[in-house]
Amino acid sequence: MKTLLKTAVSLFAFTASSALAENVAVITPYLAQPGTQMAIEGFEASASEKGWEVNVIDTAGDVAAVISRIEDSITQNVDAIVIAVDPAQVNVGLQSAKDAGIPVVGLDAGTDPLLVANVTSNGYAMAAETSVYIANRIEGAGKVVMFVFDAFPPVQIRGVVADAIFGNFPDIEVLDRVTPDVSDGGIADSRAKMEAILAANPEPGSIAAVWAAWDQPALGALQAIEGAGRAGEGIVITGIDANPQARDAIALAGNFEASIAQNFGAMGAAAADVVAGVMSGTEQRARVIYVPTKMVTANNAGQ
Amino acid sequence: MIQKLRQSGTLLGFVLILLFFALKLPDTFLTARNLINISQQLSMLAVVAATMTIVMVMNDFDLSVGSMASLSGIVAAMIFTAGYPVWVGLSAGLLVGVLGGLFNGFLVSVVGILPFVATLGTLTVFSGMAFLLSDGKTIFGRDIPTSFSGFARSGIEIGDIKIPMLTITAGLVIFICWCILEHTNFGRRLYAIGGNKEASHLAGIKVVRLRLIAFSLTGLGAAGAGLMYAARVASANPTQGSGLMLDAIAAVFLGMTMSRRGEPKVIYTLVGVLILGVLDNGMTQLRVDSYVREILVGLIVLAAVSVSSLSKRRQS
Repeated sequence: MKTLLKTAVSLFAFTASSALAENVAVITPYLAQPGTQMAIEGFEASASEKGWEVNVIDTAGDVAAVISRIEDSITQNVDAIVIAVDPAQVNVGLQSAKDAGIPVVGLDAGTDPLLVANVTSNGYAMAAETSVYIANRIEGAGKVVMFVFDAFPPVQIRGVVADAIFGNFPDIEVLDRVTPDVSDGGIADSRAKMEAILAANPEPGSIAAVWAAWDQPALGALQAIEGAGRAGEGIVITGIDANPQARDAIALAGNFEASIAQNFGAMGAAAADVVAGVMSGTEQRARVIYVPTKMVTANNAGQ
Repeated sequence: MIQKLRQSGTLLGFVLILLFFALKLPDTFLTARNLINISQQLSMLAVVAATMTIVMVMNDFDLSVGSMASLSGIVAAMIFTAGYPVWVGLSAGLLVGVLGGLFNGFLVSVVGILPFVATLGTLTVFSGMAFLLSDGKTIFGRDIPTSFSGFARSGIEIGDIKIPMLTITAGLVIFICWCILEHTNFGRRLYAIGGNKEASHLAGIKVVRLRLIAFSLTGLGAAGAGLMYAARVASANPTQGSGLMLDAIAAVFLGMTMSRRGEPKVIYTLVGVLILGVLDNGMTQLRVDSYVREILVGLIVLAAVSVSSLSKRRQS
């Protein structure tokens, strides 16, 4: 009973503080992903400078629940909504927000006419950079293992670009195009898949490179290569996102050579600027706002 | 007295939750629009939970409902993509549910595998099939006919209020499940099997056949919920139904705390579903941290079941 009272009191305290400030709801099913987390932290930091009340809602992988939470936020009459999810899947919620006159901004989401704008990194460019990096490092010849995830559109486009670039080198052969099981975070299953591929290709030098559409499979592949005692073969690994674990691996100057750092914090801040603009009545013309990225190699991984 | 308290404790808790939100959110919680929103948000869970009750009545389980929901959505979307009319896609999605459910029933009642293990296996099989069929991709946009996704947006207008079709569908499914379990010989026999399988068998109840039918009905419900989900998000994704399973089981358990002998009842399951949905809606509006919300929901389920089991022990 005491605990119940305490909870009730804390709920009261939690809700009593925000009478006048602008209320913004940030809704995502992917808060467990480090990138989404960093982007939302960037948004929160910028929002707190602006004096807004931000409510971050994680639906833990449930996309329909995002629609439900958008509807709840409309009922609550928030001033703006930020989503980090594929807008095509939450269209019903976006339409309701539009009908209620509440602006919705995409944070690394996808483009949609119902969004004021989407703030993101250029996924095509990032995939092009890492796949060209591999093609150049292996001098345009050798077998490449790809780790992709086509179910999630922002990652799917990375795979498409890498396919095109590797396809343009006649002597590069894509040995396997693996979709790892991501329910464990992506590292463990990628490692298992890579171990199987290494076992099937025992000849030293038979695998030239591993291209991963994001960092977790790259880390899994690295563990598999090191575990199999084949780190000395010069297999080049690249990832995308440059998460802290990937940066540490790249800094060791081993097989994991490069990743692309998206500036998630800046993405969040840019989204906050879009929200601020919309709330003040400024017309938002650009539908997609790209935040610059940076290649991370052993030279700058520690920075 | 203790029996009454045990039975009404969860209901009392639900009323307190409603009162709490009504007091805290006087302008937005008990409004027609919000209540309709909640009913719509809960419609898919309600369908899965109501049909899950059918197997749980026999003390069985179906862990594969979430991946079946995803699979049926994918099957329907693939058929839409191939240019067939909406009814063909819907029928195929539902048929997959019945067949998957029958397969579960076959494993459990004919082969004799424990439901937990059998449906854990089919959970992976259905999920793998959904990934295989869709190539891991989300099917959306022009591939999904507007008449299909439009269903989730449509409703019946009564005065100023529009009752969403998803809510109406869920209401119908709950009503049908209630009729089946409470007012047919079939339902009474399922309760008898739940009481004692061996005795039911000896009494001449065709246990194997009834379990087969019950599992196929649960599969059908899961597939139906999957189609409702796909219509609501106007897309089909191989993982989209996975969150339904645990919530459905939690709702049935919450409901079981309200019945006299602790057996599942569709109406009580509905109260369980409502508790989960109202908590989600109210706490979102109160801007409670989503992780705190998850902890609270888990604790409330545990508290309800603990009170029920403690009072039951004291009674015996």
